[in-house]
Amino acid sequence: MTAPPEAVIETRGLSKSFEGFRAVTGVDLSVRRNTIHALIGPNGAGKTTVFNLITGFLAPTSGRILFKGEDITGLPGDAVARRGIVRSFQISAIFPRMTVAENVRIALERPTGLAWRFWRSATALDPLAHRVDELLKAVGLLPERDRLAAGLPYGRKRALEFATTLALDPEVLLLDEPMAGLGHEDVDRIAELIRTVAAGRTILMVEHNLAVVARLAGRITVLARGQVLAEGDYAAISSNPAVVEAYIGGSDDDAAA
Amino acid sequence: MLSLLGISAPLLWGQLLIGLINGLFYAMMSLGVAIIFGLLRIGNFVHGAQYMLGAYGAWTLANLPTLFPGLGLPSLGYWWALVLVPPAVAAVGALTERLFIRRVYDLEHAYGLLLTVGLAMVIEGLFNLRFSAAGQQYGVPAELRGGVDAGFMFIPLYRLWVIAAALAVCVATWYAIERTRLGANLRAATENPDLVRAFGVNVPRMLMLTYAFGVGLAGLTGVMAAPIYQVGPYMGQSIIVTIFAVVVIGGMGSIFGAIAAGVLMGILEGLTKVFWPEASSTVIFVAMALILVFRPRGLFGKDTVSHAGTDLANARAGSILENVRLWLVLLAAGGAVLPFLIYPVFAMKILCFALFACAYNLVFGYGGLLAFGHAAFFGAAAYVTAHAAAVWGLPPELALLAGAAMAAGVGAIFGWLAIRRQGLYFAMITLALAQIVYFYAIQAPWTHGEDGIQSVPRGRLFGLVDLNDNLAMYFFVLAVFLTCFAFLARVVRSPYGQVLKAVRENERRAISLGYPTDRFKLIAFTLSATFAGVAGGLKAIVFQIASLADLHFMTSADALLMTLIGGVGTLLGPVVGAAIVVTMQREFAGFGAWVVVMQGAAFVLCVLFLRKGVVGTLEDWLARREDRRRRGRRE
Ligand SMILES: Nc1ncnc2c1ncn2[C@@H]1O[C@H](COP(=O)(O)OP(=O)(O)O)[C@@H](O)[C@H]1O
Ligand SMILES: [Mg+2]
Repeated sequence: MTAPPEAVIETRGLSKSFEGFRAVTGVDLSVRRNTIHALIGPNGAGKTTVFNLITGFLAPTSGRILFKGEDITGLPGDAVARRGIVRSFQISAIFPRMTVAENVRIALERPTGLAWRFWRSATALDPLAHRVDELLKAVGLLPERDRLAAGLPYGRKRALEFATTLALDPEVLLLDEPMAGLGHEDVDRIAELIRTVAAGRTILMVEHNLAVVARLAGRITVLARGQVLAEGDYAAISSNPAVVEAYIGGSDDDAAA
Repeated sequence: MLSLLGISAPLLWGQLLIGLINGLFYAMMSLGVAIIFGLLRIGNFVHGAQYMLGAYGAWTLANLPTLFPGLGLPSLGYWWALVLVPPAVAAVGALTERLFIRRVYDLEHAYGLLLTVGLAMVIEGLFNLRFSAAGQQYGVPAELRGGVDAGFMFIPLYRLWVIAAALAVCVATWYAIERTRLGANLRAATENPDLVRAFGVNVPRMLMLTYAFGVGLAGLTGVMAAPIYQVGPYMGQSIIVTIFAVVVIGGMGSIFGAIAAGVLMGILEGLTKVFWPEASSTVIFVAMALILVFRPRGLFGKDTVSHAGTDLANARAGSILENVRLWLVLLAAGGAVLPFLIYPVFAMKILCFALFACAYNLVFGYGGLLAFGHAAFFGAAAYVTAHAAAVWGLPPELALLAGAAMAAGVGAIFGWLAIRRQGLYFAMITLALAQIVYFYAIQAPWTHGEDGIQSVPRGRLFGLVDLNDNLAMYFFVLAVFLTCFAFLARVVRSPYGQVLKAVRENERRAISLGYPTDRFKLIAFTLSATFAGVAGGLKAIVFQIASLADLHFMTSADALLMTLIGGVGTLLGPVVGAAIVVTMQREFAGFGAWVVVMQGAAFVLCVLFLRKGVVGTLEDWLARREDRRRRGRRE
């Protein structure tokens, strides 16, 4: 049986145990093409682990992962990324001792094939500068282009990470708590950005900020203790008593974060 | 059956017994190393020296009357040693932790390894000065002389005692760590020190006691080993490399693994002595390599947790000290006048080691990989170049190429095996793999054992220039050095170099951008090995000899020391570091055995006070001055 074409990412019975501890159990997820799909749930529910499994950073204990109907279970992380599934990390992931422009350029360099040319001068990368500036401009980082990434404030680092991810023009974006640690202005800016880039892309995001989830996500899956608790649109989810109990009622902290 | 193979049963049983005893010693030692590594994240290279302290402790107690004649002290025997020495060695360990180890907990793992390498050199060097390298005898205690006849063989009582005691110690330690509250606390303390502190546990003291305990185990092993082996200053040096391999085999984070792997490897070694004696010195390292291929996490290791790479690069982009073109010109100009200022052969030595360090810097400074076996590439190329020139009669340029090709091949294989693991494990693995080459060179006929390949002809370069003329030789070396220096600097600044830097800074992120990071590291490692080979080949031609010293792990340590003193990940650091270390070695040569002590002290001082190296510190200072000036102008 092949997956219905509109499911870009599909997991079947996805499970992962860490030395006997079952972090993710039998998760069936179906992310449809060109939608924003949110994965929510209390801390420790297994959301990041699901991301790690889909992106090849962890190997599942059992279950399968399909990308456009093709089995990608067990592919290493870099191969998954090259197929067009690119993730961000819960803790901002940048290259701290490279400049802001170099951070984005590293992503742009990958499809060019220049990355292996250890005998070429770095000027071979100059043609990428224009695209670098475009991407930096989109996230409002152009004025900082020559600064070391380590020196940026936290919110700006997340913006840089986002620009780097976008540089690969991925078909599927997996965002792990993109709003965590951001101030109000940054939240609005990133949310707007996500909405803009969502055109023609599929996005799966983990997010605790439910206002953002309500605003962006068409479909929501709730994870609790490694299992899918509920799935549906925001209205259905927010009125589901099991969800309210497990998540929304249970941890106000998370909702506020 | 056995007699069909031409092997007598007593020989087999005898070697099995020796293998079991060695294995139990390995187990006790690996246990200490694994505890210190698992809980403190320190690769305790000084463990071998601490084992030696235990053996000397026992010997000293027995010889008190002759060592301190005026004091009327009694001679204290084995049982006294067993009671007194391990706590004493543990106390020395506690002091070591207090004074040195504690300062590097929060630093990159590399520093802990360097620090303990330095301490080992100092301790072993001092004992060598005091007692000379020749071993001392230590008698078997009277109560345990004689043996029992088990029918198939005669078993000395002392060995039976060692087996029983060592097993008891291993089991008790395993139990204490894995099954008691104290052990649970310890493990929690290393995973989350703040939390444990909040429960009112004194974490620094806990870490100190843990280190002392591991060291005490080494001391105890030393006492138990004293009646079996010769007691000598360097008795721990060969064992520590084996122990590192055993820890890798046992598996990360596994106390049980360390014990089981120790015993298994001892027995394997014993069996190899029976069936294929020539291979017995390498069998453990080969076993490690095979296990890495088929089970990268080790026999009993848990899931491979990926450590961050080692990011020690100190360069400041845009610093005048990082300007390749400028410095290429300056080095060429300086190099051209150098042989008229100092003895050309000495200048060539500096250049050879500068190239070696530059090659090493590529993998350590820019690749973030703590390689600790570059002697294998340096030495393998030296031998092949020497052989090609002396036996095959190749001209020097081709001999050099042959050496470099050999280094590239060995580097690709070792790199492929080692990049499966990171951080300290990477260091232990490269060290152990390099040891295979070392032992091979001791035994292979074409390498001439202890003598090495001597009287290597320098020959005529391209059939034209006679390199027996020291100046001609010098300028050839200078040309090769400058070419390689320029090439290595280019690699770092290439599109590939950018990715390598990204991998070093944040490997997971690089993977998520679609880069197969292991392959990038492997290329860096292989390139580094190749140029280390060029350096080794040059050295063989210049000094007309390839010897075991080229393959010895001290040569690997030299590469590290030079890079560190000069400045890790800087353009000029390795060159400056090589000049300093080679000069230091020459200046200290007059002090004989003190060289090792001083070099060890240099390691320690560097880790404690000069972590950025000479060039790194200078670049910092220049950058700060620039900052200040700019701010001054604005006001
Ligand atoms: N590498 C790992 N080893 C052991 N346990 C892990 C590992 N990664 C996650 N876990 C455990 O799995 C559970 C789910 O974690 P995670 O996926 O990070 O949750 P979430 O992202 O939903 O907060 C947690 O209990 C966590 O401790
Ligand atoms: Mg998470």
